[in-house]
Amino acid sequence: MRISTKSKWQIALLLLPGLLIFGTFTLYPIIKLFYMSFFEWDFKNALGQSFIGMGNYREVAGDVYFRTAFVNTILYTLITVPGQMVIGFLIALLISQVTKFKVGYRVLYYLPVVTSWVIASLVFKYVFNTEGLLNYFLVNIAHVAGKNVRWLDTRWGGLAVAMLLGIWKGIGWNMVVFLAALQTVSQDLYEAAEVDGAGPVRKLFAVTLPGIRGTILFALVMLTIGGFNVFTSVKMITGGEPAHRTDVVLTWMYYKAFSAGKFGYSAALSFLITLALAVLAVIQFRLMQKKDR
Amino acid sequence: MKRKNLWIHLILFSGLALVILPMVYMVSTSLKPNGALYEYPPRFLPSLSEITVENYKYILGQGKFYINFLNSIFVAFVSVLITAMVSSALGYVMARFEFPGKGFLFSFIVLTMIIPGLTLIIPQYELAVKLRAINSLVGLIPFYVAWTIPYSTFMIKGFVENVPRELDEATYMDGGSVFTVFARVILPLAKPGIASVSIFNFLTSWEEFPWANTVINDNLKRTLPIAISGFFGQHQFTQWGYVFALSVFSLAPILLVFLFCQRFFVEGLTSGSVKG
Amino acid sequence: MKAHKKILAILLTTVICLAAMMGCGKSPVQSETDSQSQETARKASSEPAETESKAKEPLEVTINFWHHYSAQSAENETLTKVLIPKFEEENPGIRVNAVSHEWADLHEKLLISAQSGTLPDVARLDSAWVPELWEMGILTSLDEEMSDFDEVSGALLESAMSTARIDGHFYGLALNTNTKILFYNVKALAEAGIDVPETMDEFVTAVKALAGTNGNGQQVWGYNEPALSGWNLCPFIWSMGGSLTDEAQTKGSGFINSPQTVEAIEMFADLYADGAITGWNSGDIPMTDGFGTGRYMMLLEGPWKVAEMKGAYPDFEYATAGMPAGKGGSVSVLGGEDIAMFNSADKDASWKFMKFMTGGYAQEEMAKCGQIPVNKEALESDTAKEADFAPFLEAIAAAKSRPTVSCWSEMDNELSVAVTAVVSGEKTAAQAMDELAEKFDALLAK
Repeated sequence: MRISTKSKWQIALLLLPGLLIFGTFTLYPIIKLFYMSFFEWDFKNALGQSFIGMGNYREVAGDVYFRTAFVNTILYTLITVPGQMVIGFLIALLISQVTKFKVGYRVLYYLPVVTSWVIASLVFKYVFNTEGLLNYFLVNIAHVAGKNVRWLDTRWGGLAVAMLLGIWKGIGWNMVVFLAALQTVSQDLYEAAEVDGAGPVRKLFAVTLPGIRGTILFALVMLTIGGFNVFTSVKMITGGEPAHRTDVVLTWMYYKAFSAGKFGYSAALSFLITLALAVLAVIQFRLMQKKDR
Repeated sequence: MKRKNLWIHLILFSGLALVILPMVYMVSTSLKPNGALYEYPPRFLPSLSEITVENYKYILGQGKFYINFLNSIFVAFVSVLITAMVSSALGYVMARFEFPGKGFLFSFIVLTMIIPGLTLIIPQYELAVKLRAINSLVGLIPFYVAWTIPYSTFMIKGFVENVPRELDEATYMDGGSVFTVFARVILPLAKPGIASVSIFNFLTSWEEFPWANTVINDNLKRTLPIAISGFFGQHQFTQWGYVFALSVFSLAPILLVFLFCQRFFVEGLTSGSVKG
Repeated sequence: MKAHKKILAILLTTVICLAAMMGCGKSPVQSETDSQSQETARKASSEPAETESKAKEPLEVTINFWHHYSAQSAENETLTKVLIPKFEEENPGIRVNAVSHEWADLHEKLLISAQSGTLPDVARLDSAWVPELWEMGILTSLDEEMSDFDEVSGALLESAMSTARIDGHFYGLALNTNTKILFYNVKALAEAGIDVPETMDEFVTAVKALAGTNGNGQQVWGYNEPALSGWNLCPFIWSMGGSLTDEAQTKGSGFINSPQTVEAIEMFADLYADGAITGWNSGDIPMTDGFGTGRYMMLLEGPWKVAEMKGAYPDFEYATAGMPAGKGGSVSVLGGEDIAMFNSADKDASWKFMKFMTGGYAQEEMAKCGQIPVNKEALESDTAKEADFAPFLEAIAAAKSRPTVSCWSEMDNELSVAVTAVVSGEKTAAQAMDELAEKFDALLAK
């Protein structure tokens, strides 16, 4: 199709606002971030930014708090991503089997997704309080714990609560995504499998899962990004306490930037996270494609 | 068959109970007197005689929370509108026309979806300072728009591709231009898709916390999530009753919109994922 | 497409409903600072109409005042409903926009704003922050710029004013002073047959004896400490004869890891290990609630706690005593706030507001909410006498300041990290304090 000059102008005009906003508020900050990461850029000498090459990156690499935060983030992702995918998928599978209350289940299971992170975090903080309802239930009613469990006070306890929140909030999204995907799997394939004498488990692995491979990949990539994005829940529930042990990369980055005033350090840290995620996303795509063939 | 269904319902129902439990507890706590929050034994539901609306009275009696509420609505609404317009135009052009650098541009936009929004907070803060967008509600908007553009463009491009090209051609035959096709064909037909993406974007801006918390100072310019978090850290005691009453107050409209438009929530998610 | 219209309709209806709610919410809005200043503004703007014949009114200025009076506190009520209206009435043409931040947030916000040039005009500062902000070069030197400085500062307590003095110049006015003393649950001590602890040894014994379980089978603790920062630990370190740095504040080695300091930290860790103290964990009951519901038997707290307890637990029976004395005496930590203006401020208007806030009227009003006045006249007033600040004033006389160095925030963070490692049993006190000493040395050397 030939495009007239007038059309070209119109196309350019349609692109312009989007590119302008994207360029100013996303592209420019990315470049600036990269630039800042090579400078000592502190609150205290706002004017005296000095070029220190890889200095910030070296500092990040040698920082024990960053290492803790990084491990925490990886663990958070490793646990919450499969956690919400498996549970969400199972629920979707069950919902697809029934005819009644389908919409009702879908709506109610989706409720946590529309609940804001701030509110959800506060509810969890309240429930997991050492003197909270959950401990009372565990100790005095179910008698499974001898004394109140200090959920929020240790590295693993605090992280576990944040992870539980992440899974709780993510189930609904996975359920909806997988529910839609399940509908696209051809009924013929199931029938063919049945003819071959396949049981429900075999059907799941031979027909259903390969049939929704694309969706699994999509969910995996999106959720991994989401896992690295974890911030509000940790900030609200433990605030990184005790002594930065429950910090994740973004809360640590925020602390270094806005409490300690080390902008350059945080820029280097941000850049590394972004790089790690990009590599991770590419690997995930590759792995899934390999299985494809 | 029947029996099997019963079991499935039983499982789904108990799962649901677990999922909904925290929300119910939030509502029930907001109905307890503030002093009863460290009562013994702690109760999941308040006793009938204990039920009180004092927390709601307090929250609704504070004018500032209405303002926080309106701030959230305003910011989310305007951001969503701008994103919808801008991303539709981008999605349309990307789906229909070839131009140099298109492939690169599209991959780049999609790639930025990978970047955690918060990692850009430092340069974005610098930018906001330069643009005098610090402590300004309006100043929040372009940042929210920029965050939601990649995902929206990606989705809307997909919706546009589902609109048959023949309709474009027919409009061109009638002497229509690129604009007319956009306005008369693409927008009307991609509307449901754009609407579902917009609902998603609304939620994003509505609940956004770290950026607004960093940039906004004045009490009356704060959005709801910041107002809620403002109950903490002060005085070493937390009025949970107020916190949860305000939470319910801020959650209610979202839930209403969600219940009425849940189909769109679902479509906004799934149309992108299933094609995969 | 129909459904799309439905969404729009619903969204719009929501917005309209909200707008309608806003309409109903107008009267409560007036309780807010900003709307009050708006009101004043309206009044002010209607005035020129009446006085049109007179010379033109000076342009109205708004000064931004950031503080960390808690949003829901009596102090904030007094500030927004009594003091600011009074000030605006006395100073037509000046509006005050007061912004409440949480304590740690205010520190963050000030640092961020300094970087971005969006500082407020005036702020209430924890006196421990003054050196740090001074080093950034953003505070106004009051004695050099204000002609009536001597007169103003002369009306304020000299000891409190010293917190704003660096290198012979004053970068703020003292706003209020405080320190922490012992608060105890009268009934619990009587039932346990324990006398109010006067020495550190008695304190440790009492804390252990008071801890245990109550009638409901709930755990109770002898003492609560809400954090592990300098503000919390210094009274124990000092009273037990330890210190953080040398007198000249140039190094930590030999001081933060001295046997006395290590002993204080060990005492803390031992009491925690015994389940006798708690409070700094994310999952713990907040201090006021725990004290008021009989779960924490003793606290070290400041004068604001009196007003707070009256509001939250009016029937609770408690009393106060001095900080238990150890080898180093009974030494509590000196707190208090200064009010300072930034270089970017509207200096005339800001100075007027600062003078107002440190004046007799404002200081007396704030004394009613538990803020100890630094204005000598207000300190002698009946209000101050009624508030019974005597035990606090007595403790202030012996109290010490935290290190007045610009890297204090960073030192403070390192201190909490180190002590957290000790109480969680990962390091011995001696080991952690030796490591901390090195960090202090490095920070102080900069």
